[in-house]
Amino acid sequence: MNTKSVELIEFDIRGQICPSTLLTTLREINRHKKALKSGGAQLAVVTDNRDSTTTIPDSVRHMGYEVTVAKEHDYYRILIG
Amino acid sequence: MSGSVTFFIASVSLLLGSAAGFVMHRYDFCIAGMFRNVFMFRQWFMLRILLLLIVVSMGLFEGARLVGLLSLYPYPLLGSASLATIVGAFLFGIGMVLSGGCVVGTLYKMGAGSVLSLLAFAGLLFGSAAYAEFHPLWKTFATQTTLSPGVITLPELVGISPSIFVSVAIVLFLIFCIRFHPLSAWTRTVVVDGYLQPWKAAIVLAFIGLLSYVLVGMPLGITTAYAKLGAGLESLFFSQHVAELSYFQALPLDYVPPFFEIAIRGGAGPQWDAVALVQYPLIAGIVLGSTLSARMLDEFKLRLNAPRRQVVSVVLGGVVMGLACRMAPGCNVWHLLGGLPILSLQAIFYLFGLVPGAWAGSFILQRFVLK
Repeated sequence: MNTKSVELIEFDIRGQICPSTLLTTLREINRHKKALKSGGAQLAVVTDNRDSTTTIPDSVRHMGYEVTVAKEHDYYRILIG
Repeated sequence: MSGSVTFFIASVSLLLGSAAGFVMHRYDFCIAGMFRNVFMFRQWFMLRILLLLIVVSMGLFEGARLVGLLSLYPYPLLGSASLATIVGAFLFGIGMVLSGGCVVGTLYKMGAGSVLSLLAFAGLLFGSAAYAEFHPLWKTFATQTTLSPGVITLPELVGISPSIFVSVAIVLFLIFCIRFHPLSAWTRTVVVDGYLQPWKAAIVLAFIGLLSYVLVGMPLGITTAYAKLGAGLESLFFSQHVAELSYFQALPLDYVPPFFEIAIRGGAGPQWDAVALVQYPLIAGIVLGSTLSARMLDEFKLRLNAPRRQVVSVVLGGVVMGLACRMAPGCNVWHLLGGLPILSLQAIFYLFGLVPGAWAGSFILQRFVLK
């Protein structure tokens, strides 16, 4: 039986300056491009920036990645890949 | 000042500020971000929303003027355009990007619990008060480089009715929308609770600006109050020095508010006057409105999780922005949402300085702060 493990790479960007969330996300996507494309990794961005819940999915979908946004307590978790 | 004027203006400002703060938090209406995202991410969406807000405000202000709802036109505190406006706006553009929000953005973000914005606010107070130290020199520079002394708006300068300019601007905007941006390009896919579509936020803010103009006598503006608050804090330690500074003695706001017959006066000095009456409730309202929105969405939380580099950037950005908003004088909300809709020359000059300033701020932020 083939089981494929998916590495979860998480970044907590709560309480940081705008546009740190979007910039960090784009940089990390580029850094882990191969693993994200192959399905070997997922990127989780934890943010309290409301604008990022629309700008990140917009940008990332254009790059061909799946994105989900979920609210957890008083912040958001954006899962990419 | 009589009790009825005080009560009326303070109540209206507080209510309008609260509504603006609530709306700004729902959409995250960050004007600094609108310019910064163009330079850093080539994202034009937010800037288009700002354009919508300006054009809608143009139509509303001009309509109100034509039916006689605006007792003061142009409104008080608007000056003649000079090179000082461009230089001030350039520095403002740098400061707003480095501090993560402009003068108003800092308030609504602070209201939602951003500790970084609270630090930017402190920087703003310091910078605004520090401007008083070189005000006489800067005033001389502004006077010597004024384009047309006493002329406030573009229609005045060229001798053409504002209605013609506004009509042309609206037609050009409609052509731009029809040709390049279908209706679907004005909405965003909503993934969070309580999100207000940006175009709706723009229209609500345009009406808030109109109400302020009709009821208080001028659109939203808050930057003199930053200097006033800074002067108040400074006078706790250096009262003699504050009392001697000419900038804090001047009373540039001197007007008769709509619906009243007595003049009210005010300036940047620490005393309670017309500036405090109009602008303090507006500042408090924006913070409170945003706090209310954030609490309703269960998003309010005081957080500071930023690297030291970001903390330094935010404080320095706030100081630069505080100095710059006195040098221009004015801020994004005052010029872009109030001045541009009536084609103020100072607002047009302000835009000329702000755009390269936002570019320079984005460059510094990307190169040295978020590297």
